[in-house]
Amino acid sequence: MTGYAIEVEHLKRTYKTTVGVLRRKVKNVEAVRDVSFAIQTGELFGLVGPNGAGKTTTVKMLTTLLIPTAGTARVLGYDVVQEASSIQARIGFIFGGDRGLYWRLSGIDNLRYFASLYHVDPDVSRKRIDYLLELVGLTGRGEERVEGYSRGMRQRLHIARSLLHNPEVLFLDEPTIGLDPVGARELRLVIRNLQAEEKTILLTTHYMFEADELCQRVGVINHGEITALDTPQGLKKTVRDLSVIEINVFGIDNEHLDALRDRADVDTVSLREHGQKQTLLIHSPHGSEALPGVMETLSGLHLGGVTVREPTLEDAYVRLVGGEA
Amino acid sequence: MNLDRLRANIRVVGYAFVMTLKQNVIDGFIIFTILIQPLIIALLALWMMDDQAASHAIFIVVGSGLTGLWSSLLFISGNSINVERWIGTLEFMVAMPTSITTIIFGKNLAHVSQSLISMLLSYFLASIIFDLPLTIARPGLFLLSLLLTIVAFVSFGLIIAPIFVMNPGVQGWQNAMEFPVYILSGFLFPIALLPGWTTPVSYVLAPYWAAKALHGASSGESSPDSILIDLGILIMFSTVYILISRRLFKAMLHKTRVDATLGLQ
Repeated sequence: MTGYAIEVEHLKRTYKTTVGVLRRKVKNVEAVRDVSFAIQTGELFGLVGPNGAGKTTTVKMLTTLLIPTAGTARVLGYDVVQEASSIQARIGFIFGGDRGLYWRLSGIDNLRYFASLYHVDPDVSRKRIDYLLELVGLTGRGEERVEGYSRGMRQRLHIARSLLHNPEVLFLDEPTIGLDPVGARELRLVIRNLQAEEKTILLTTHYMFEADELCQRVGVINHGEITALDTPQGLKKTVRDLSVIEINVFGIDNEHLDALRDRADVDTVSLREHGQKQTLLIHSPHGSEALPGVMETLSGLHLGGVTVREPTLEDAYVRLVGGEA
Repeated sequence: MNLDRLRANIRVVGYAFVMTLKQNVIDGFIIFTILIQPLIIALLALWMMDDQAASHAIFIVVGSGLTGLWSSLLFISGNSINVERWIGTLEFMVAMPTSITTIIFGKNLAHVSQSLISMLLSYFLASIIFDLPLTIARPGLFLLSLLLTIVAFVSFGLIIAPIFVMNPGVQGWQNAMEFPVYILSGFLFPIALLPGWTTPVSYVLAPYWAAKALHGASSGESSPDSILIDLGILIMFSTVYILISRRLFKAMLHKTRVDATLGLQ
């Protein structure tokens, strides 16, 4: 044994898509270009990156759902292509969103059915289902039909489903996506409890605070490549030389954004939308000294509050993905 | 296959069967396919036969029931894998220790078995509403024929479901495949009434042999030996279907993993 539960070497995955109707052309899209990493047994590893970075494709290859175009990947020592069946009984996985359940059946019926597919003995599965419902906070709601569940409850049911056969490795692909803050916090608590059970977990997310809070190590993936891999503390160190200027704006256009990006005293610029309001995140090595010039570039816009602060893991991530977050 | 694995697979078929029935109870499309449509066909046939209805009542009951079986197979069992893909469960199903063929077998068994209700309803329609005499001449052989018909239809479902996944274009022909099989298989009238060149086509359809055995056993017009030959052919078809389906499922799983079409993006 190498001590690694997951080993990925130069993994690559290309999708073929067709464009055009009469003159159809085949186009290759490189979802994962060259990904290598290894996760130790019992580690909670985060894979973070913007939408379309290759997170889900990587997880699907590791869970044997997709065949890689090139490279190798081993889970618990087994090759994901040649020895898929040896992996399947020992891993669990969930994908973000609430699809993948039988909505007309009750939560317990869903779990019983999936337990049978994992060949869990009925006596064992009865006890296990009770335990899992308690673990994910659905005790007393298991007899209700899934169609009446909230999105957060369905996500928690998915977690219970993925644990029915007590897997050694767990793949959680954006498990908190679309959840309200309370639901997301409850789910993070469940994930922490799983970590306490010493399961190896690969978590993908694009919420940096989530990775910071839960993961022992984080890999940043962008355009199908790992651009950084370290502990959350290690990644934060990469932006220690920067300050972050946060400015609330209303209706900023691309011209102003480009003008900001062209400034010599600005490292990266990213924008967060909050309904009518937007928040500009400007990374600068000059801290508050850059502020007058930045404000001048934004002149003519309706601005809200301005803050200058120390960088977080999210800022490290923004720098690593070049402001695409 | 060891005994534990066999037991686990039987349990999977049982769970898939029960869960599928539970889900189907409130499905409007399924209710139409297995209840309303066969009843309409039985009603039309009974009215059209008019004064001859009494002598052909059992033929109509069995025939309309078979239409329910075939429609259920074509539209519900045929879509059984695609439905899992649409609701997002297919990705979980293929990454499990249970073979997907076993799971779909359990589901198709539920779909085909529940469509027997259409035969029962037609029976009550003819005997209670139309007050027609209904007797099954060879009940033992009829039951055996019914059982083997279910197996043959479920096996056929195992072939069309992966084909529909791999070739969405073929699925477009679903509607066009419904009535020709009713006619060519002799569900509602003997194939002797059709032009001679269609007979070889009927012979290669398992539903034809199922209908022949069921009609023969219910009316008593076929000898036990002849019915047993029909059933032997039906078993042969079922075996061939299962063997072909194993290869098709393997090809489907490989293709969907290469094309990334296991789930809807």
